[in-house]
Amino acid sequence: MATDHRSAAGTPGHAAPGGPSAKSAGLASGWWKLDEKTRFSLLLLAPSGIMLILFQIVPILIGANASFRDWSLYDPQRTWVGLQHYLYILTDPNFLYLVLPNTLLLMFCSVSIGLCLGLALAHLLNRHFIGHALVQTVILLPLMVAPVIASMMMRWIFNDQFGVVAAVMDALGFGSIAWLSNRWPSFAIIVFADVWLWTPWFTILLLAGLRSLPKEPYEAAAIDAASKWRVFTHVTLPMMRPIMAVCIVIRSIDCFRTFDQVWVITGGGPARQTEVFSIYAYTEAFVYLNFARGTAAAIVGAVIIGALGWALYKTLNRFMEVSR
Amino acid sequence: MSAATDTGYTPPRKGSFLDALAPGGKRAFLFLCVLGVLLLFAFPVFWLVLTSLRPAWGVYYVHRGLEFTLSNYAEVLEQGVVVNAFINSFVIATLSTFFSLAVTVTSGYMLSRFTGKLANAWFGTIYIFRTIPYITWVLPLYFVTQWWGIFDTYLGLLLPHIAVHICFFSWLMKGFFDGIDPSMESAALIDGCTRWGAFVRVALPSALPGIAALSILCWLWTWNEFLFALILTSHNTPMITVVMAQFVSELGTEWNLMSATAVMAMVPALIVAIFGQKYVVRGLKV
Amino acid sequence: MLKRNALRRALTYLTVSCAVAAVSLVSPAQAQEKVLKVGYMKNVILEASVDMMDTWAKKNGVKLVRIPMAYSIFQEKVTATLTSGNDQFDVIWHNDDWGQLWAKWMATTDDVKGIDRVAKSPLDAFYREDGKLTVVPAAHTVGTFFYRTDLVKPEEVPTTWQEMVDIGQRLQKEGKVKWGYVGGMAMNSTWFSLWWTMWGNKCDIFMPLWERDNKKLAEAGWKPALTEPCTKEYVEFWWDAMNKWKISPESMTAYTRDEANAIFMAGDAAFTLIDSVHFGDFNNPKKSRIAGNVAMAPQPKGPRGEKPFAWNEIWGWGIPKGVPEDRQKLAKEMLGAMLNDIDGQVKMWNETGGPPPSLDAWARLEKESKDFAMLKHAVFDQNVGTHSAYYFPAWPAVHKAYSDTMIGALKGKREDIPKALEAGMDLIHKAANSGQ
Repeated sequence: MATDHRSAAGTPGHAAPGGPSAKSAGLASGWWKLDEKTRFSLLLLAPSGIMLILFQIVPILIGANASFRDWSLYDPQRTWVGLQHYLYILTDPNFLYLVLPNTLLLMFCSVSIGLCLGLALAHLLNRHFIGHALVQTVILLPLMVAPVIASMMMRWIFNDQFGVVAAVMDALGFGSIAWLSNRWPSFAIIVFADVWLWTPWFTILLLAGLRSLPKEPYEAAAIDAASKWRVFTHVTLPMMRPIMAVCIVIRSIDCFRTFDQVWVITGGGPARQTEVFSIYAYTEAFVYLNFARGTAAAIVGAVIIGALGWALYKTLNRFMEVSR
Repeated sequence: MSAATDTGYTPPRKGSFLDALAPGGKRAFLFLCVLGVLLLFAFPVFWLVLTSLRPAWGVYYVHRGLEFTLSNYAEVLEQGVVVNAFINSFVIATLSTFFSLAVTVTSGYMLSRFTGKLANAWFGTIYIFRTIPYITWVLPLYFVTQWWGIFDTYLGLLLPHIAVHICFFSWLMKGFFDGIDPSMESAALIDGCTRWGAFVRVALPSALPGIAALSILCWLWTWNEFLFALILTSHNTPMITVVMAQFVSELGTEWNLMSATAVMAMVPALIVAIFGQKYVVRGLKV
Repeated sequence: MLKRNALRRALTYLTVSCAVAAVSLVSPAQAQEKVLKVGYMKNVILEASVDMMDTWAKKNGVKLVRIPMAYSIFQEKVTATLTSGNDQFDVIWHNDDWGQLWAKWMATTDDVKGIDRVAKSPLDAFYREDGKLTVVPAAHTVGTFFYRTDLVKPEEVPTTWQEMVDIGQRLQKEGKVKWGYVGGMAMNSTWFSLWWTMWGNKCDIFMPLWERDNKKLAEAGWKPALTEPCTKEYVEFWWDAMNKWKISPESMTAYTRDEANAIFMAGDAAFTLIDSVHFGDFNNPKKSRIAGNVAMAPQPKGPRGEKPFAWNEIWGWGIPKGVPEDRQKLAKEMLGAMLNDIDGQVKMWNETGGPPPSLDAWARLEKESKDFAMLKHAVFDQNVGTHSAYYFPAWPAVHKAYSDTMIGALKGKREDIPKALEAGMDLIHKAANSGQ
């Protein structure tokens, strides 16, 4: 199939020296000498490997190269400045004491709420009931609206003058809240928007996970007459471990670099109070037009979330194993 | 289906606050919870639809007045580019879904079934490159597509879209294959099946629910994708999200037209999601 | 079984879509010889300006390709194209905000026919270091004070801040309107509340006040004017307007022009200040509930202002230096034709409210159009004392730092305002030096 033919093209000799992978066989210097298993695995990853290199790794390396140079967007000098941009970011109190805490808080709130809601909804959808298709469609609705449009909608809905939330609260006699001009209310709206946009994502993936679980453990649990909650914690959760860990970590990484919602809803305001990491990097790169510093900030962020995510992944795996 | 077993037995009741409610009350309570959540999910979309039906003077104060009109839709459709944009977005989303899944299903399978340095190196690579924000590379990507002469063509949009999904999908595919017992494939191998045969005939069908779920996600994502579409296209390949973005100018937002376009863009997404759901359910019955 | 079905279906899809893709890849091949590509932000005024170019192009056998772009990405994308020497555009939309950023990459427009018949001071942002001009004006963008004629008689229109507060409060008390004044204040809408009052109080962002010569500003050390009494006065004015007199909503600090316009057009505010081109929308019954009841007036003055302040900037067209000589010449001919198309410019004003670039069009419109006369009185005849921006690369950083400082000050206690302004001194000074 397509894959076969692509991978045949994508197996030049230079892939072979990278063949320390022949751990089990131990004899390798050329493609033909690789053991059959390694050759097969190389073939399997060749198509995606080539795509990744051409359209992600190459551009990222170009960007990373810029972060060590004097590279403004409007007049790139491209002179080498070493770690200057990195030092600037790592000593910027705004980055360390405002942007990072905001980002981590947003990540924590959004991922934990999204996961719980997603798990609950996935369980709901894993049953048969009347109107199942309708409910599932409603849950998928947020995926069907472009995130930028959805965020603008949120911004208007929560406007203190013409927003429907203000109108309802006014009608109920609570008076309107200046949602978007204060730090925590606007932060809450960002979290709400993010949860709204991403819960369907959790739901659909966890549902797929639930559906591919084997039946036997449930039958055993039924014989033991375990309570539903016990079945959930002792049978479902441990079996869902791999997919849940992946979902949590991937979502955390993505949430760490949330941009659209924050940019549209508050723009990082009022007075930088809701600024998150990607807004910081974007502002440096595309508002101040200092592309080098923007990419340096982005890479600093990538390192932080990379390390955090890895730790999270390992902990989740261990934690879940223990709980089993 | 596990759902059948899940609901098939009645567990002994332990103390829970739900039990304090009347027998019918528990059901009603749960029903209300679900209803509340669903309303929360549906409301912004409902409001968007309502907004798009309001005359231009009423798109902000939607709750004031009951005048509705289709003129926003008419005005948007008058712009010839919209139809083009719909076709383009549809083609790109479909192609990107197919190819993204095709290339990642194999690499995900490899990650799940093989251990050793190669697998570790590949996993490390996709992990690291997943963490790097778009800010670092959209602009270089713009240059890269220009160097290769594919800027503002289908290919120039399609290939980056496939690339951007690789890290994430490979990883998720690994998760799906991890949940599938490898002993069946071993049995197939012993029966004289090739490795490729074992993958296609044994592992792939069991992973179908996951792949189907991913395909829906991937299609909807590409359909709604903003950033790549904005940067990597120009007048030759208008995309629906770019057309939407153009309603925001330095002088303000034409929210009436923008919301109408957004609602129209939801229709294909809705069809794909509904069709996809059926497919997911059918995939389960295998 | 299912797998095979799915596969077949997927392959069918694939074949069909590949065919579509192939067709669309082949079709854009162009056979025509002379082609000019215009890149611009999608907007009715710019469309009207391109229409004039198109008239010329059709007459001269040139194919004009329109490349409308989303505003959110326009500056970044075009900047990247310019610095990479790509000739993707022959003519691009130009704006005083990035006049200096692009100056180096643009061809001179000094030899465009009719460039001597435009207002001079708005061109300041667009000169290269060698003194050559790099823009051809397309339309003027001017901040204009709007009031409701059904609530305020022309002779009652406020001329000072105090009058604006008094009239606003009176109208609110009478229940005629929910707010006295509403204008944008969030980042990028700073002009429509903070800045017009800043200049209207003879104040500015840097010392010396109203100076725009970068050399002189650098000599003065890019010293912000935040600790000047004139700054404190106007910040306190807005604090009072939102919290004490309540003529403006408390969350106005988060409003962009979208929110402010929505409130004004719904009839919930008596006054606003926004680009003059919104006059058309305000008076369009399809878009506005106050259509027919909006007029323009000179800006109310602050305690230090002597004459109403106004600013006058332009949108324009530029030609990238990387464009081959022959196409540059053609583009200049086309822009010259636009600049001398007086009928087209009058039509642009009538249909979109975009103030035309040529002074000859002004002379005609002053006689023909009551609205243009009103705009001229409200803006062009007033004290166009300085520019509504600074023209140097660090300007966006300064704008952001200034906006953050002010919104921080306005969200705090009134007595803390001087402290907040003091703290902003360093921030804005640093921002000014960030680009160098």
